[in-house]
Parts: sequence; structure tokens; C-alpha cells
Amino acid sequence: MSGLSVGMFLFLVSVGMSLIFGVTRIVNLAHGSFYMVGAYLMVTLVEVLPDRPWAFWVALLLAPLGVAMLGGVIEIGLLRLIYRRDPLMQLILTFGLILVIGTLVLLAWGPDNKSVPRPAALAGSVRVFGQPFPSYYVLVLGLAPLVALALWLVFYRTRWGMLIRAATVDREMLGALGVNVAALYTQVFVFGSALAGLGGALAAPTVAVALGMDGDVLTTAFVVVVIGGLGSFAGSFISALLVGLLQSFGILVFPAVSIVLLFAIMAVVLIVRPWGLLGRPEQ
Amino acid sequence: MPRAGWLGLLVVALAVAPLALPPFFLQLLTEIAIVGLFATAFNLLMGFGGMVSFGHAAYFALGAYAPALLVKRAGLPMLLALPAAPLAAAAGALLFGFFIVRLSHTYFAMLSLAFAQIVFTVIFKWKALTGGDDGLLDVWPPAALKSPAAYYYFTLAVVGLSLLALRLIVDSPFGYALRSVRENPRRARFIGIDVRRHQLVAFVISGAFSGVAGGLFAFYNGSVFPDFAYFTKSFEPLVVALLGGVQSFYGPLAGAFGFKILEWLVSRQWPVYWPLFLGSIVIVVIVVLPYGFVGLAGGRPWRTRPAAKA
Repeated sequence: MSGLSVGMFLFLVSVGMSLIFGVTRIVNLAHGSFYMVGAYLMVTLVEVLPDRPWAFWVALLLAPLGVAMLGGVIEIGLLRLIYRRDPLMQLILTFGLILVIGTLVLLAWGPDNKSVPRPAALAGSVRVFGQPFPSYYVLVLGLAPLVALALWLVFYRTRWGMLIRAATVDREMLGALGVNVAALYTQVFVFGSALAGLGGALAAPTVAVALGMDGDVLTTAFVVVVIGGLGSFAGSFISALLVGLLQSFGILVFPAVSIVLLFAIMAVVLIVRPWGLLGRPEQ
Repeated sequence: MPRAGWLGLLVVALAVAPLALPPFFLQLLTEIAIVGLFATAFNLLMGFGGMVSFGHAAYFALGAYAPALLVKRAGLPMLLALPAAPLAAAAGALLFGFFIVRLSHTYFAMLSLAFAQIVFTVIFKWKALTGGDDGLLDVWPPAALKSPAAYYYFTLAVVGLSLLALRLIVDSPFGYALRSVRENPRRARFIGIDVRRHQLVAFVISGAFSGVAGGLFAFYNGSVFPDFAYFTKSFEPLVVALLGGVQSFYGPLAGAFGFKILEWLVSRQWPVYWPLFLGSIVIVVIVVLPYGFVGLAGGRPWRTRPAAKA
């Protein structure tokens, strides 16, 4: 069960990463940093907002918005300048962002681990099949299908979602058809950042909010995205659940090799189907 | 002054440096030499082969751990253990490279990263052998090489020979075939070059010399840690090569010099700000100076030809 919850956070981060790659062709290594910023914003917001039952939910809404703004600034200020460049240069640039954001977070919030209290209504636990299970995870698990459904509706039932799907197939043609692709890039990047921020904000009450969390989530989300297929929405969902489960069960069954197993699976996928389980090969 | 003159001047300056400089600067120069070798080995792939590895820390770490383990667990002296560095790194590079060179572009980079993470995790988790998070301590060179000046000369000699070997490889027919693979893999194949084999050989050579750098660093540092294989370490040669300029053989060396001096200057004053500084520099270099600092001085432009597609 907690594996499924972990899978949920991973899904939010990796679907954003996958979305950004699908449209802009940038592998955003700073996506883990967005997740981390989301969690830290949650820390501050829960502290600052008045101690009322609604405060947690407002914070849960505001934290992703804050991360979305950060994403917007980065996209407009930096990424726009380098879309035409070598993909590897773009990769290195987003790596530079990891360092910059990591230091800024350190300066803003200090080196100590933080924690976010769970909202009072969800502080206890419920019994699931006779096992005690934290209520908060129930919320996360309940939210998971909702978020996935909402994303599905956005992608497959709105004009904007149609444009995004079109952009993942052929960006130049989309531009030639009169769509403002530059604006679409910005929107997608902002949206993807917000998803990572939401993942971080939701995860904040379940983990220690600490400085290393950007790298941890990045490597795992990266595995998820690669296994599921870069740019594939359903692929991210399935593979996030898979990886989440594998991580929690793996740690119980064979602790030493679980992470190696993860990367080994990723390596096998890359060798056999470099475009991922549900992705599309590049032409 | 002709090129040979400059080179001679540099050699003399490096040779007499211990007479003039305090030990701290000798250690800094030693580190520069090691990072310079690591970045030059990396650049054999990036600059000459058009393949960008995001996991070169794996070979650096293999090169650091192999001799460290021999010294700690088998009790070998350093000079006998050190040759294990390039051997272990080359073996790792051969095993991983066999799969990695089958991919191109971004996927090449990602698979190399995945393998490096595997190496990191194995080192991190295999406590019985590698000491895990605690690393291996007390990995020192023999008494004769222990002083900063002695180890500086030793490093300089090993790095010098390695650079010479790399230079010869780059200038050999193999080196030119590798360039043709970078420029146009399909045409290279048409004229009878086995593209994948050239890429794999380059990968193994690059890994082996990264291992030499790792081995030298292990004994310089006196200890080895799993961080050596972490993905942030993989970006070090990349950033250094990028700073120096990837299209020239000596670019990464110049980059290493600038990188280390800068790191020293910044970390001395504000250690916390160093990653911020480094990240900003990387971003600025990519956005404003796509040719690196050597490019600024009139080098050839870096062609945006990513890893070869066979």
C-alpha cells in the first residue's frame, strides 16, 4: 500500500517530466529540484498560514502554484534561448539548474531537515485488511486516480490537450498550422513544473523534507520515465506504480539489490526498447 | 614563441614549482592534473567521438576502488595496486560500453547514467567489501611518495604519460576514423569503418584513462568514497571540458585549471556558494559561450553534432 503511495508521488513528478520532454524535447534534470521546492514551500506555507483545518489544503494548492511560477521564469528566461541547440547542451543546462536551485534552497531554508505535520483529520490510521494504515496514505491513494483522471481529461478531452499531443508528434507541422508553439512550450513547462510541485507538496508530510531529496526523486523519476517511455502519459502511470511497488517490496524482500534491480530494469528497457514500454520510437 | 617553446616553458615551470610554491598549491596543482586527465579522457569521447557520457564517474570510481581494495584487503603496496585502476575501469567500460554504444544521442547519455548509478549503488550497498557509505580510509602511498612534492611529481609523470598516450591515439589513424564517425556515422560506415567497434574502443580507452585519474585521486585523497561514482561526479569532466572547449585536445586541461582555481577561490570565501556559482557558470557558458573559454580565444566552433547514429 505505501508502495502505491510512493508510486503516486513518482507519477506526478514523472508525468510532468515526460510531458515536458514530449513537447519541448528537453529532458529536465531539474525536475527533482521542482519537487523539492514544492515540499519546502509546503513547509513554509503550513507554518505561515493560520492554524485552521483549511490551511493544509490551501498550502497544497499554493505550493504547486509557486513552483509553476518558478518553472515559468526558467522557461522564459533560459530554456527559450536554447531550444534549437544540441539536446545535450540542454541537458547540461538543466543540470546547472539543479546546482543553482539546490544552493538557493539551502540558503533560504537552511541545512536542517524539516517536517510537515499531517492535517489533524488525517493524522491517525485506519485498518485495511486488519493492518494499520496511515490515513494520509488513504488520501494520497484516493487522489491518485482523481489526478490521473483529470490529466486524462485534459489531454484527451480539451483543445489544449489535443495541441499538446499534436506537439509530441510533430512540432513543426503544428507551428506551420498557425499554433503559437512558443507559448505552448511555456504552458507545458509551467504545467509540468506544477505537477512536480504538487508531488513534492503531497509527499512533504510523509518524508523528511531534506536537501538531498532532489537527487533521490530525480533518479527514480528518471527510471520511471525511461521505462514508461519518454512522452507517454499512460506509460508514466503504469511504470510509476511498478517502480513504487518494486521499491517498497524490494526493500522488504531483498534490500541490498532493490535499487540495482531498478536500474538494471531500466538498462534492459533502454537496450531492448530505448523509447520505453509505451513510448514511440524517434524517426 | 613556437609551440614547442611554450610546452618546454610549461614543463620547466611545473618541474620547479615545488621549489617556489607552498605545499597547498602543490596539492592544488596535483588535483588540477588529475581532473585534467579525467576531463581529457572524457573528451576523447565527447570532442573526438561525438558521444556524451553522463556516467563517467563510474570509471573514475572503479579506478579509485580497485587499487584501494587491493591495498586494503590484499595488502599490496600502492605501486603494484595502481595498475589495477585502468584495468578495472577498462573492464567496466567494456562491459557497459558494449550496450551503451548501441544507442545514440540522449539515450546514449541516459544509459551511461543508468550504469553509473548501478556502480554507485553497488559500492554504496556492498558494505562488506567497499565499506559502503564510510568508504575505505587510510589508502596512502608509500612513505617515499607521501610528501606533497613527491606525490605531485608522481602524478605529473603519470598524467603526462597518459596525456601523451591519448594525444598519440587522437593523432593515429584510429583517431581520424573516430572523427569521421563523429562527423557522419553513415558515411563512415560506407567507407568501411566499423562504427560501433570504433565507438566501443574509444569508450574503453576513455574509461581506462578515467580510471587512471581515479586511482591517482584515491592515493592523493588517502581514502575513497561512494560519492566518486555519484551522478554529480559525472558532470565534473563534462563541465570542465565544456569550460575549456571540447574541440581542442588541450581544452579540457585549460578547463581543469580554470575550474580548480575558481573552485579554490570561491570555496575559500564562501563554501556554500560554490554549487550556485558552478551552476550559474554552466548556464552562462551554454547560453552565451557555446564554444567554451578556449573558443572565446579563437578556437574552432563546437559543432552541434550529437552522439553518432549508426
